[in-house]
Amino acid sequence: MIVEVRRYASLGASGTGQLPGDPQDVELEDGATIARLLEELALPPEAVHLVIVDGRIRHDREEALRHGARVALFPPVGGG
Amino acid sequence: MDPERTGVRMDRMLRVNMTDRSATFEPLPAAYRNRAGRWLTSSIVHDEVPASCHPLGPNNKVIFSPGFVTGTAAPTSSRISVGGKSPLTGGIKEANAGTGWGRRLARLGIRALVVEGQSTDNRFWLLKVDTKGATFEPADPWVGKKLSEAVAAIAAKSGGKERVDVCAIGVAGEHRMGAAGVCFTDREGRASRYAGRGGLGAVLGSKGLKAIVVDDSGAADVPIADKATFDSGRKKLAAALGEHAITKPKGALNSYGTAVLVNILNEAGGLPTRNFREGRFEGAAKIAGEAIFAGNKERLGHDLYNHPCSPGCIIACSNTWHHKDRSEHTSCIEYESDWAFGADCGISDLDQIAELNLLCNEYGLDTIEIGGTLGVAAEGGLWKFGDGKRAIELVHEIDKATPLGRILGNGALITGRAFGVTRVPHVKGQSMPAYEPRAVKGIGMTYAVSTMGADHTSGYTIAPEILGVSGKLDPLDPKKTDLARTFQYATAFIDSTGHCLFIAFAILDIASGFEGVVEECSGVLGTKWTMDDVGRIGKAVLDLELDFNRRAGFTAADDRLPEFMSREPLPPHNGVWDVPDAEIDKVFAS
Ligand code: SF4
Repeated sequence: MIVEVRRYASLGASGTGQLPGDPQDVELEDGATIARLLEELALPPEAVHLVIVDGRIRHDREEALRHGARVALFPPVGGG
Repeated sequence: MDPERTGVRMDRMLRVNMTDRSATFEPLPAAYRNRAGRWLTSSIVHDEVPASCHPLGPNNKVIFSPGFVTGTAAPTSSRISVGGKSPLTGGIKEANAGTGWGRRLARLGIRALVVEGQSTDNRFWLLKVDTKGATFEPADPWVGKKLSEAVAAIAAKSGGKERVDVCAIGVAGEHRMGAAGVCFTDREGRASRYAGRGGLGAVLGSKGLKAIVVDDSGAADVPIADKATFDSGRKKLAAALGEHAITKPKGALNSYGTAVLVNILNEAGGLPTRNFREGRFEGAAKIAGEAIFAGNKERLGHDLYNHPCSPGCIIACSNTWHHKDRSEHTSCIEYESDWAFGADCGISDLDQIAELNLLCNEYGLDTIEIGGTLGVAAEGGLWKFGDGKRAIELVHEIDKATPLGRILGNGALITGRAFGVTRVPHVKGQSMPAYEPRAVKGIGMTYAVSTMGADHTSGYTIAPEILGVSGKLDPLDPKKTDLARTFQYATAFIDSTGHCLFIAFAILDIASGFEGVVEECSGVLGTKWTMDDVGRIGKAVLDLELDFNRRAGFTAADDRLPEFMSREPLPPHNGVWDVPDAEIDKVFAS
């Protein structure tokens, strides 16, 4: 299956020529979890503070993703 | 021992009467001895301003108060609170800004500067405050001028920006417009830091006070009653700020500024777009903090991290945006301003957003209110969403004070009325900030009940609802009654300390940091406050404000979000505002 990933702020894919937030298709085995996606992207789990899947904030990293999901990854961010 | 009776700080109040242009120093009344910042501005408004007065009449007052620790070595503590009765909401108002101005006032031993009366000669005046006292001179040369020019000239003739900071109103305030903010100089002397919300600039304009310059040269340090406790506290806070990923050097705020939130709210479906019609903006990535960082890097040829807006800030979240020729265009494009002119106006060009931001700084306008107003104006057919050139022309109308400009300059509600628009995102007449209530329920409750009108800084529930700071809550869960209350109490306390609210990201997660803040305050005042006093003080502040608003005529019916939010589903979640009125009424019921 393929998920559409957006890496924001300091998680932006450096060296790939992509800007933070440019969508990136990632191929994973069916039923792969959020944790598995981070592994595929070689992102240390603790570097990713927030995962938003199809507009919903997801705290359980063992949750399975679905084909076509929009996945947004953020480091700790704040503002106002 | 009664914690209210141990204070040793011998501060003064400066009372300025614009009717006869007198300035009198008074001892700080005993009842106010341990109050500062928002607690003190709201106390004085509550105790001295008739709740039924016309906000632009002679009986309203504008009160300035630095926080408990402003002027000391406490990190990120150069905030100044400004209070009065708001011409926008008709209720009490406290707005605060980061600036050396408050620090200088604190060093002069002035805990509160109260501006009252009203000039009767149709002229504008400049007030100068220094160790010798307070004097007036005519402000004629700066009336009608851009704020950057006025403020630079005032600073230059008063000893230079190293020596003074300036507070001033722009053209919008001179014309008594409801969206007029109070402008303060930043650490570099830019006219860029605003106590923006609620129209307090118009109140100063109504009094004939154009600017206040504060010179603290020769002033003694702020006295500290218990240095050991103070030092212990400030070290704990500095450690928490230096450690937390959001507030540390080259952390999220220092790198990307507050506009780093654009993408996160967009992904969460809570970024109000085109006047709160949608929760996602297709141009979000182009205007976000990351794009500001990348755009500056491309234009300047190097990474540009953000700067402190005010002396002693170690978070340093304030950004600049640069023209293609590398010269500075504007500072600061905050998340709120970026969203207001960007997503809310359907504009995805950072240069146009920067120009709109600059114009608001030059004319003395609240960016949130003006962005919200432009969104409503687009609904009303005055321009098309996304047409940045036309949006810029409309803001120039405000400077010219044309009839159209005066309507726009009085904010979203007035503009909606003038153009027959029903989709007006506001509470109590103040336009909504950059978080969509239908997608983030706790902030919606906060907007509803806040004593300030729609205001995200009253209680930043976004931290646990979206950012995963101090908890992990579901933003769509409507059960946020207790959250809305406790966050508003904690915030009212922080707003009284003189610290920037952005310390909250660190101290909500790192308990020793919050203890440090309480110790700093006790250290300055000589009190024995504990964490229990945070809620007590916060509640005391809110109780004063709620009582003022009640006397000003507000009822539960005013604690409601606009009707369209209960009727129109918001994409992408397609939910409506569904928090029951009875729950909203419980927030401050106890
Ligand atoms: S954190 Fe940002 S807004 Fe707050 S005082 Fe520092 S620079 Fe100013």
